[in-house]
Amino acid sequence: MSATNVLVVYPEKCVGCRLCEQWCSFKHEGQVNPCKARIRVVRVHSKYVNIPVTCMQCAKSPCIAACREGALSKSPETGAILVNEETCIGCRRCIRACPYGAIGIDKDKRVVLICDLCQGNPQCVAHCREGAIQYVPLAVADRGQRDAYVEVAAAEIQGGIR
Amino acid sequence: MTALKGLAGKILRVNLNNGTIIKEPTPQEVFASYIGARGVGAYLLLKELRPATDPLGPDNKLIFLTGPLEGTLAPGANKITVTFRSPLTGTYSFSLCGGHLAPELKFAGYDGIIIEGRAPHPVYLWIDGDQAMLRDASHLWGKLTHATEDAIRSELKDQSIKVACIGPAGEKQSRFACIQSDYHREFGRGGAGAVMGSKNLKAIAVRGTSGVEVADPEALASLAEKTYEILGSNLKARARRKYGTPEMIDGTNALGYWGTRNFSTGYFEEAEKINAASMEENIFVGHMSCYACPIACGKVSHIKDGPYAGTYIEGPEFESIGLLGANCGVADLAALVKAVEICDVYGLDTMSAGAVVSLAMECYERGILTRKDTDGIDLRFGNGEALVAILQKVAQREGLLDLLAEGSRIAAEKLGVPELAMQVKGQELPTYEPRGIKGMGLTYAISPRGAHHMIAPTMGAEAAGDGGRRLEYRGKAALVREMQLLMAVVDSLALCSSMRFALGLKEQLELYRAVTGLALDEAAARLKAERIVNLERLFNLREGFDRKDDRLPPRMLKEPMPSGPSQGQVVELEPMLDEYYDLMGWDRQGRPTKEKLAQLGLEHVWQEVS
Repeated sequence: MSATNVLVVYPEKCVGCRLCEQWCSFKHEGQVNPCKARIRVVRVHSKYVNIPVTCMQCAKSPCIAACREGALSKSPETGAILVNEETCIGCRRCIRACPYGAIGIDKDKRVVLICDLCQGNPQCVAHCREGAIQYVPLAVADRGQRDAYVEVAAAEIQGGIR
Repeated sequence: MTALKGLAGKILRVNLNNGTIIKEPTPQEVFASYIGARGVGAYLLLKELRPATDPLGPDNKLIFLTGPLEGTLAPGANKITVTFRSPLTGTYSFSLCGGHLAPELKFAGYDGIIIEGRAPHPVYLWIDGDQAMLRDASHLWGKLTHATEDAIRSELKDQSIKVACIGPAGEKQSRFACIQSDYHREFGRGGAGAVMGSKNLKAIAVRGTSGVEVADPEALASLAEKTYEILGSNLKARARRKYGTPEMIDGTNALGYWGTRNFSTGYFEEAEKINAASMEENIFVGHMSCYACPIACGKVSHIKDGPYAGTYIEGPEFESIGLLGANCGVADLAALVKAVEICDVYGLDTMSAGAVVSLAMECYERGILTRKDTDGIDLRFGNGEALVAILQKVAQREGLLDLLAEGSRIAAEKLGVPELAMQVKGQELPTYEPRGIKGMGLTYAISPRGAHHMIAPTMGAEAAGDGGRRLEYRGKAALVREMQLLMAVVDSLALCSSMRFALGLKEQLELYRAVTGLALDEAAARLKAERIVNLERLFNLREGFDRKDDRLPPRMLKEPMPSGPSQGQVVELEPMLDEYYDLMGWDRQGRPTKEKLAQLGLEHVWQEVS
């Protein structure tokens, strides 16, 4: 467990089975309920893709900045956003502030739902069979982006330097 | 009785005649007796439909049901059945749809939906948790299935809403129209789409926001983890993952039971052009999964160049490739992807669609149909362009071949060649050629919904080892009976049949106990399965079906297979039927005996409904 680990999603690998949603809500609520999962997979049918949406552990958290009640804080151990259910008033300002739309709301408790990284052992990652979500050190997060670019560039100049 | 866990607790009853929507408590005792989905549907249809109900009239019903496992951690629990009287066969029928619709209905708080009557104008049903309402669908009528799904998600302003809908083929009541969901998942067989069209019901849209409670969450979690592990290393599951259901093409063709050119033979010489390896190399670009599935057998295909460039589908499935491909003699993958797309967007069952085209192709080659009849299309076997062109017409019911939309039995009768329709009770044969795999012949003959491979999928056991056993007819009745009972459980739990790679009956019942809290031993489950199978038989018996209808096309019985590894074979149907009826405790006319019904505790049901 390290405060420097973050979640990285690879939508191009996601098949839309939603096992991550299942295990997230099961872990937190004791039952499967996609509306209480802290991760949601949205299928864009017309593009034949599935996009997992969850908290990306922003360094300067817009959700914390948006909260007027002081209900959100960052876990010193994992860097996850912690919701104080006593002080959260369910105003949903953080939902609007989140650049990913990754925050949900618990319709029964009327408080917001944010990924807590399962205390450093995220169940979405543990149950993804596709490698579409990973939990990696911040310093190397999103290297896949670079690799994707490198692959394209390499294909263009295949054959070596002229 | 105490409520079963895993059930949502309510069923929606929608009367389209007057627009009333009632929430009924889920009949717990019926679910306890018949498990769910298929089993409960068989019971309700028999109880609720009057004899001789017109399949396309307002009195027919569409009974949508999930099983107890949907919306839980149970792996591959994502199926929903629709049960109805089929306009294609006149029999009892049900069809299963995967994707994401079933769990969403549970999350919305319902175990099922019963649709009755006929709306005075096009409507769609919008189920938003507690709220359920009918909305005008005039602006959606005529739209293709994908456009319909998109339009509904747009107007309801939520991309996560799940939709089941019909396309123009269902609106025009083609007898093999399907109900489409999630773009490429469908209630495929039997013409449920035509029934929905006859009811002026364009779509059902669902949004759920609640969870599903189970009896023993920890046990369920551990069963799920174990299943993932088994499937991760199971060779069959891995092949299914890599290639989808087309992984079955090579084995099927190699043993000579792949229906080819309107079932004139069981071996397709050009199979290599359209097999799984070819698909993987030429058209597969991604994977797509149904809910809670650890396999993800759905493949995304893309045609990059040529006349069909830019076409995307999820598929093609093994059965689609079989009936549109081998059975039409077409070895052009791009044309096949286009053909599947046409079926999916217009809302046609790809299997029956392939079979009516293969019928027309045989008629064309024999001179029974001419270029004038086909509006100039050169409808030879093997002509992919012609396949695409004729399907466009069939899907829209235009041109002289409108009669093909009535299904192969009616079409062949009108063309004066009833023997050329490869069908049982009006439903077209799946791709397994019965002369090359005898047990499947018996399965097609006794299936309560017309020819259907998943009623008793014996092909695995029959083709095992060197495959020699497939040509034996002795002993197949027992195998068919066994598979039929096992599938009645799988379909009533509403598990995807691919989960059988990891889950035998014992494991399925462990899942059932963890979810519902009800312990069932294997003997009890088999008894329930036998009751379900008998209920299905009784529905058909009430409509006059018996041994005389448990037939195969004469080609299967009289014409020896002309080529391939099963050359020279015919199906020995009569002795298999005798043996099967005896094993089932039915008389030699295929009617459940009084003693059998008493033993199964079904006498009272039969007395009430007959």
